[in-house]
Amino acid sequence: MTDLSEAPHGQGAPTTRGRAADFWRRYVRNRSAVAGLVILLTVIAMAALAPLLYPADPFSLAGRPMSPPMTGQFLLGSDTLGRDIAAGMAHGARTSLLIGVVATLVAVGLGVLMGGLAGYYGGWIDDVLMRLTEVFQTIPSFIFAILLVAVLTPSIVNIIIAIAVVSWPALARLVRGEFLSMRNREFVQANVVMGMADWRIILVQILPNCLSPIIVAASLLVATAILIESGLSFLGLGDPNVMSWGFQVGAGRTVLRRAWWIVTFPGLAIMLTVLAINLVGEGLNDALNPRLRERAS
Amino acid sequence: MRSLMLGAALAAAAASASAQESGGTMVMVTQPEPPNLASYLSTSGPIGQVATKVYEGLVTLGWDFEIQPALAKSWEVSEDGLTVTFNLQDGVTWHDGEAFDSADVQFSIMNVLREVHPRGGATLSIIEAVETPDPLTAVLKLSEPAPYLMVALNGYESPMVAQHVFEGTDIRANETANAPVGTGPFKFVEWQKGQYVRLDKNENYWRDGRPYLDRVVVRFIADASTRTAAMENGELHFAAFGAIPNIDVPRLEEMDSIEVTTKGYEYFAPIMQLQFNVDAKPFDDPAVRRAVATAMDREFVVENIWFGFGKPATGPISSNFAASGIYTADVPSFEVDDRIAAANKMLDDAGYPRGADGVRFSIVHDMTPYGEEWRRFGEYTKQVLAEIGVAAELRYEDVATWLKRVYTDYDYALSSNWLFSMPDPVLGVHRQYHSNQIRPGTVFVNGTKWSSPETDALMDAAKTETDPAARAELYAKFQNIIVEQSPIVFMHELEFTTVYNTKLHNAVSGPLGVYNSFADVWLEQ
Repeated sequence: MTDLSEAPHGQGAPTTRGRAADFWRRYVRNRSAVAGLVILLTVIAMAALAPLLYPADPFSLAGRPMSPPMTGQFLLGSDTLGRDIAAGMAHGARTSLLIGVVATLVAVGLGVLMGGLAGYYGGWIDDVLMRLTEVFQTIPSFIFAILLVAVLTPSIVNIIIAIAVVSWPALARLVRGEFLSMRNREFVQANVVMGMADWRIILVQILPNCLSPIIVAASLLVATAILIESGLSFLGLGDPNVMSWGFQVGAGRTVLRRAWWIVTFPGLAIMLTVLAINLVGEGLNDALNPRLRERAS
Repeated sequence: MRSLMLGAALAAAAASASAQESGGTMVMVTQPEPPNLASYLSTSGPIGQVATKVYEGLVTLGWDFEIQPALAKSWEVSEDGLTVTFNLQDGVTWHDGEAFDSADVQFSIMNVLREVHPRGGATLSIIEAVETPDPLTAVLKLSEPAPYLMVALNGYESPMVAQHVFEGTDIRANETANAPVGTGPFKFVEWQKGQYVRLDKNENYWRDGRPYLDRVVVRFIADASTRTAAMENGELHFAAFGAIPNIDVPRLEEMDSIEVTTKGYEYFAPIMQLQFNVDAKPFDDPAVRRAVATAMDREFVVENIWFGFGKPATGPISSNFAASGIYTADVPSFEVDDRIAAANKMLDDAGYPRGADGVRFSIVHDMTPYGEEWRRFGEYTKQVLAEIGVAAELRYEDVATWLKRVYTDYDYALSSNWLFSMPDPVLGVHRQYHSNQIRPGTVFVNGTKWSSPETDALMDAAKTETDPAARAELYAKFQNIIVEQSPIVFMHELEFTTVYNTKLHNAVSGPLGVYNSFADVWLEQ
């Protein structure tokens, strides 16, 4: 419990390569985290290769409607309008990852800002910001997201905004807690005495030292964001111009008895991706959490 | 869909061959629960499904929209079409025991329907007075001939209400709104909100031997799969207007105890359509509109999006009007072998070349915000447009915003939509094409801004033309111009299903379907 949390970040630390190797060694100790990483990389590869594998619009009416898997040109079958399920899934992976990552980044930005200010300054600023956070936390997040998208009209930008708005409060509280505990450490007080500006202390001194829990929380947030997006699309509140897994499940659910494959494959994709991200998050937690690390060594 | 209709016809034939039985309780489901039972105040479907058993009209309708007697025994229309004399049934009483007479007819038409009924104000506006020379005679004086009037005097559209119940009260707030008093075959007994309405046999009904049923119970079940299950296990005898989801219908139809029909909706004749804003580029050009009409595959849409419940439409007037001669199939057809190639050629010829990216022009396509099928239809339309070089972005808004966009702001290029054609073009069709129906803020009227002195004149003439042949000719011309100009792409005639238990007979006995009085319905014990 020395290098990361006690000393100011980036000064007199071991070589970056050594740390990375250390990190990786701890990560691979968790087998399920490795499995999660493999699945996640597969999904990322699928998203990256989608335009090459399926250059056509995933909404295009590619062939006979409701073809079962492995018939004709359809690997995973076609839906009620004859759209290729596999093409939809590949392009849907892009949507899911894009929304998951961007919404998380926005939420993390908001959460760090609110939590950081509250934790660093305390007092009335803390009171105001935390009461505001609580207001958001009292509203069930999925219902709130539905409301926001319905009001803002469904589009990819609005969906990202909605997910970010419902996700930041938990992060804000986490960051606030970390900042509160850092605020009175010697190195922070030393910086204050040295006359360093507040914003520099927050950004350069404290924040890097509480990155680990933020990274872990953010990785789990990606999974939540993907789930919320799928839920919205399932309910018909997705961007009608963008293919997504939730949309595929929603569009196929009425014909579940007649064409199981339409909902099954995208549904599996959602499940596996969310599972994988959770496993990766757990692995990151193992690798980054200092206390666990101490116990292990 | 053919087999469904054939099945219904056979069932109807079988029913009339066997002997009717009296007694029994029929259980039907209505979805959603009506807000009240005031059918003189609202045309809302669920209200009508219940209220038509209690209130009756002067006439009712046969399968080909032939006018049949109800509260009126017979009628004469004068030579000039300006006087209609109704001879009323003898010995009719209201459910509270008072006698029904011509004063009730006068009051219902002049004081109730013309004043508070949503469509009555327009439909019945040509009635200048109702004269009552004696208690069993009512004479309607018209300001102009109205060939569409008789059909509108049925029990769903124009219910006759009791003068002694309504006179001197605020008609909109009358206490019988939730406990109707009519002349119909069934008397209102009780309404357990959220559960059921109970209607009992009217022992003093004016038709001898009717109704057959002792009781009609109208149940309200909010969950769709529960309704399907209740139908499946025989708890329900009858469900109309999509109360059983289309997707469950084929499964139920295979059961021996259940019959399915798409008949009984001819009165509404809804047409699914794609409508253009003909006032704005690029759809101000009829050639572009015709290209879109050519590219759309109607059979595909019916089969794959509406699960077979519908049939391709040919023009602005539903094929349900074939019997009365108003409908004509003899209009320009958009059916070609290679739809996409033909449509592309039309756009090339019209001077809309593809750009470097293959796009001729970009539009936003608004989808009817009524649910799944309309979403799928929008997605389909977007793909078809892409194939003819039109880049379409889909927009899906809430109902209020969409209605305002289409009928108030006209801020759209292409929108899907569906409208009831109603039993006469004057009631359901003119509103979409007449230039005097471009009424910002009024919904389901002329939202395309189509305006043509020629079609206006044809509609005006047809409105007062009493000779059926001459009227048919006017409408034939009208249909040809509209289809040729295509302010609207006519997709298909929407079909609804009525699902009923085979023990129930005469369940669907005319174009009014579930809005019939059920006096002739009987239950096999």
